[in-house]
This record gives sequence, C-alpha cells and structure tokens, in this order.
Amino acid sequence: MSDLVLSQPAPLAIPRGNSKTGLRIVQTVCIFMIALVMISPLFMLLIASLKDDRFRILADMGSFRAFWVSDPTLSNYREIANFSGELAYGRYLFNSLVILVVTVVSGLIINSMAGFVLAWGSLRGKAILLALVVALYVIPQESIIMPLVVMMSRAGLTDTFAVQILPWVASPLYVFLFYQFFAQLPKELYEAAEMDGASAFRIYRSIFIPLSLPALATVSILMGIESWNQYLWPTLVTQTDYARPIAVAIATFFGQDSIYWDRAMAASVLMMIPVLILYLAFQRWFVSSFVGSAVKG
Amino acid sequence: MTLQQTSMPALPRPARRRDRQRFWQEVAMIAPAVLLLAIFLITPFLLSFWTAMTNQPLVPRPTPVRFVGLLNFQRVFTDPLFWTSLWNVTRFTAWVLPVQCGLAFLTALLLHQKLPMQNLLRGMFFLPAITSMVVVCVIWGTLFQYPSGPLNQIVGFLSGGTIQPIDWLGDPSWAMFSIVLLSAWQAYGFQMIIYLAGLQGIPEELYDAARIDGASALRRFWHVTMPGLRPTHVFVLVITTIQAFKLYTQVAILTQGGPKESTETVVHYMVRAGFEEQKLGYASAVSVILFVIVLLIALLQRKLLRRFDV
Repeated sequence: MSDLVLSQPAPLAIPRGNSKTGLRIVQTVCIFMIALVMISPLFMLLIASLKDDRFRILADMGSFRAFWVSDPTLSNYREIANFSGELAYGRYLFNSLVILVVTVVSGLIINSMAGFVLAWGSLRGKAILLALVVALYVIPQESIIMPLVVMMSRAGLTDTFAVQILPWVASPLYVFLFYQFFAQLPKELYEAAEMDGASAFRIYRSIFIPLSLPALATVSILMGIESWNQYLWPTLVTQTDYARPIAVAIATFFGQDSIYWDRAMAASVLMMIPVLILYLAFQRWFVSSFVGSAVKG
Repeated sequence: MTLQQTSMPALPRPARRRDRQRFWQEVAMIAPAVLLLAIFLITPFLLSFWTAMTNQPLVPRPTPVRFVGLLNFQRVFTDPLFWTSLWNVTRFTAWVLPVQCGLAFLTALLLHQKLPMQNLLRGMFFLPAITSMVVVCVIWGTLFQYPSGPLNQIVGFLSGGTIQPIDWLGDPSWAMFSIVLLSAWQAYGFQMIIYLAGLQGIPEELYDAARIDGASALRRFWHVTMPGLRPTHVFVLVITTIQAFKLYTQVAILTQGGPKESTETVVHYMVRAGFEEQKLGYASAVSVILFVIVLLIALLQRKLLRRFDV
C-alpha cells in the first residue's frame, strides 16, 4: 500500500522543471530537519536516561549536551528493573504488557466477529444493532467511569487484571471499523462460500479474516495504544503493586519525588518500547486502511 | 436477501436446518460483544443518570441513599468552580484546535509526496502520538523547568535575554498555554494520519484537469485540495474538540488544576468530586453534563457534514 502512496504525485509538488532533482533533495532534507525537531524531546529523553547524575541531567538540559552523552550508563535502568520492592518497574511493565496483549487479542476476536455478523449475518435485528453501535460510540469513557468504579468494586474486582481488561475489550468504534471493512468486501466471496456449504463461522474464519489484515493492523495499533496509555481508569481501580500498570507507576513516582528525573526517564523509555514495536510491526497497513474507515465514520 | 429466505416456508428441510444452525452461530459470534457492551458500557451509562439524581456517596454509608431529583445539577450549575473548569476547557479547545490541527495539516501536506524513506519519515512524525501522555508529562515537565529549563533557555537565547524566564506551569496566565503546547505535540500525529488518508482520497484526475487548465500550484491547492478535504476537516476538528473537552491526564499529573484553578478541567473537577470528596451522585451529574456536551459536538458534526453534502 505504501507503494501506492509513493506512486501518487503530490498536489503541492514543485512545478516540473530542470531543477527538479535539486529541489527535491533540498525539500527532503528540510522535511527531515523538521521531523528531527519534532522528535527532539524524545531523543532528549533517551539521552537523559543514559546519564547517571540526576543533577547533571538538569544542568545539561539547556545546552547541546542534552543531545549528547559521553559516558552512557545503564545504571538508571538497573535501579528500576526490579520485580518487587519500591522501584518494581519490571513488574509494572509486565503488568501493562499482560493487559495490552489480552485486551488486543480478545478485542480483535470479539469485535471482528460482531462486525462480521453485522455486515453479512442474517439476524433480524441487525439494522437496529448497528444503529445502536453507532450511537454508543458517542459515549465517552469519562462519563461512565463513576458508576463503573462502584460496579467493579462491588463485584470485588478492584486491584485485578480483569478490571483493567474487561471493560475495554468490546468497543463500538472497533465493531464499527470491522463492520465497515467487511461490508466493502465483494458479496461473491460470501455467497460462493455459502454455496459450498460453509458455516458462518467458517466463512468468517477462513475467508474474511485472512483478507482483513489492514483492519486487524489498524485496530491492533489503536487498541494497543489506547490500552497502553490508559491512565485515569487504572488510577481509580488499582491500589497496590499487584496489577498496577507502568503509566500509573511513572506518574505517582514523578509526582511524589520530582528530583528523581533519571529514574523516571529510564522508566519512560522502557514504556515507549512495546508500543514502538507494535507500531513498527503494523505500520505498513496503518495509513491505507484509515482511508476507508476514519473519515466517513 | 437472507431475511426473506428464513421466512419462506417453501424451503426444503435441510436448508431450514442450516438456517437455524446459522442463526445460532451468528448469535454466538455477536453475543460476546453485545454482552460486554451491555455490562460495561450501557449499564454504567444508564446508572450514571440514576446516580446523578441521588445523594449516593462513594463508600456505602448506613444512611439510605435518597432520591434528590435535580438537586445535584442545580448545585453543579451554581458552583463557580464548575464554570471555571468549563471556561478553561473552552479556552484550551480554542488554542489547541488551530495549533494541533494546523500542525497535523502541514505535516500531512509535507509527507504527501514522493519522498525517499517515506515510511521512516511518517513514523518519525507519528512517534509523539504513540508516546503515552504520562511519558509526555515527564519530558515536558523537564522542558518547562523554571527558571533555567530548556524552554526558558531557548526563549532567553532567541530574545537575547530580553524576555525573563517564564514559569510555564506555575504562572496562572501561562499554565494552560503550556498544557496546550504539550497536548498538541502529543496528539497531532493521529490527525496527520487522517489528513494523509484524506489527501490520498482526492482523485488525481482533478489535479491533472486543473494543470491542463493552467492552474498554478497555489490555485490547485485552493480549488482542488481544500474542497476535497472538506469532510476531513470537519472530522478532524470534531474529534479534536471532543478530545479537548475531555482534557484530564496532563492536568492531573502536571498541575492538579492549579495554579489558582487556571487549569481545572471538567473531567478533573468530576474526578475530584467523586473520589476526593466522595460525592458520587454529584460527580455523576457532572459526567452526565460532559456526555451532553460531547453529544452536542457530535450532532454538530453530523449537521456540518450534511451541509457540505458528503
């Protein structure tokens, strides 16, 4: 798909002429410079996390030394890579990973199955269900958490993994994205398989799912980022280390004792790695599938 | 098509059995999503309306929960702090819309052309968007250091020392603007992706036709690109507005609504009422109001899209 993007001439492209290649190089370099400026805060974070002395980190910040470290050390990472105790960032990272993987995998299955039935099923209430899904999409997470916290604590789910996973697995947005994706696939696919006597689940599993890599990739990235970055909800439903995700851990740590920049920064770098991998793994399909899905919603 | 099939009596038996089998299979496939949404979305949503009309505390007390009608709403609407928080998120929205969407639009225009290392560049611009807001707060909390943090150094350098160091997060007249800066930086990537998709959706023939008519690059931009992006603009502006009204994490971590309530937001106000003051009924009233605001913005989007005939 990225090839398809590449093959499209630009609307703002420099007028065709002899100096085209020269201009193009200048242009590319400029865009790279802008990109570097945009991500310089992240680069600064990485460099700072490799410095041992927290006072030096602050002192270096104002100069070019913020982007350079002559004696990189992993001591900040070593200090926080524990599975118990005060700085159990290994554990928090693990907790977040468990929550991410379970949420995304079960979310992909559950939302895509629902989207498939809404697109191709023969259930009678289909149209109403679809309208309901669209309507539910408007409800923001923030406006249901008050009663939800009470419901969860009554159910005895406070401080568990389940309480951080279950409420966010099914989502109107993702059901709708899958519905939209499946619905635009050719009718013949479904009908031919049905003729051959394949059951609805068979058609879903062996024909539609293999064709929906772009949709699966998009939903994985969106769900993954969303789950990874949850903050408000886990602060309300976790009190101990047991299931505390890394986002909450960094925030409490950062707020309580803002002198420990070094450790907070090392933890922040650790926190970036999994989503970065997720993005790199799925980015090929990301933009292309957004074309159909986002704007019309 | 299948709807009629199920109700047709003339079908041979095996077909009908297959229909029944398919019916149950479809029910089984859609049931998990329906059940989860019913329990974790619809139930708390409906409960919030009920709770908003009671004096329910967060932790159950021996005294029974009373129905108080619209009293909570009346109290919310007469609390000056609520209006401050509403005004603050409105201010935030007014600033973050042009900054964030403008940044997204410009970067999308830059990236929508033949470039070497296209994916790398796109990934670089998208990087802040996959950065957790908590991490963003750690980074920008450092950048905002007063008086000698990096941003102040840059400002001092650029102004030749004429501008005094700014207390980015501690000065009531600067705090919200600082939150705007870091929020726009964190979130523009998603809108950039949506704009890129919108740009790809404009048929190339339109540009060719404009070129044949001798339209300059600027005219092509105004008369082909901009009209083609109209639905994208509406969509981006609406989701950014909704996102802005739900402002919470940055404020909770960096300023706790301060200084002097200059960064108090509706969601932060709600969480404080619910969990610090433990007034669940009152907080639910705020959450209902938040829902109504978001609903109005979404309805506005629908109206605008219809007006633009898309």
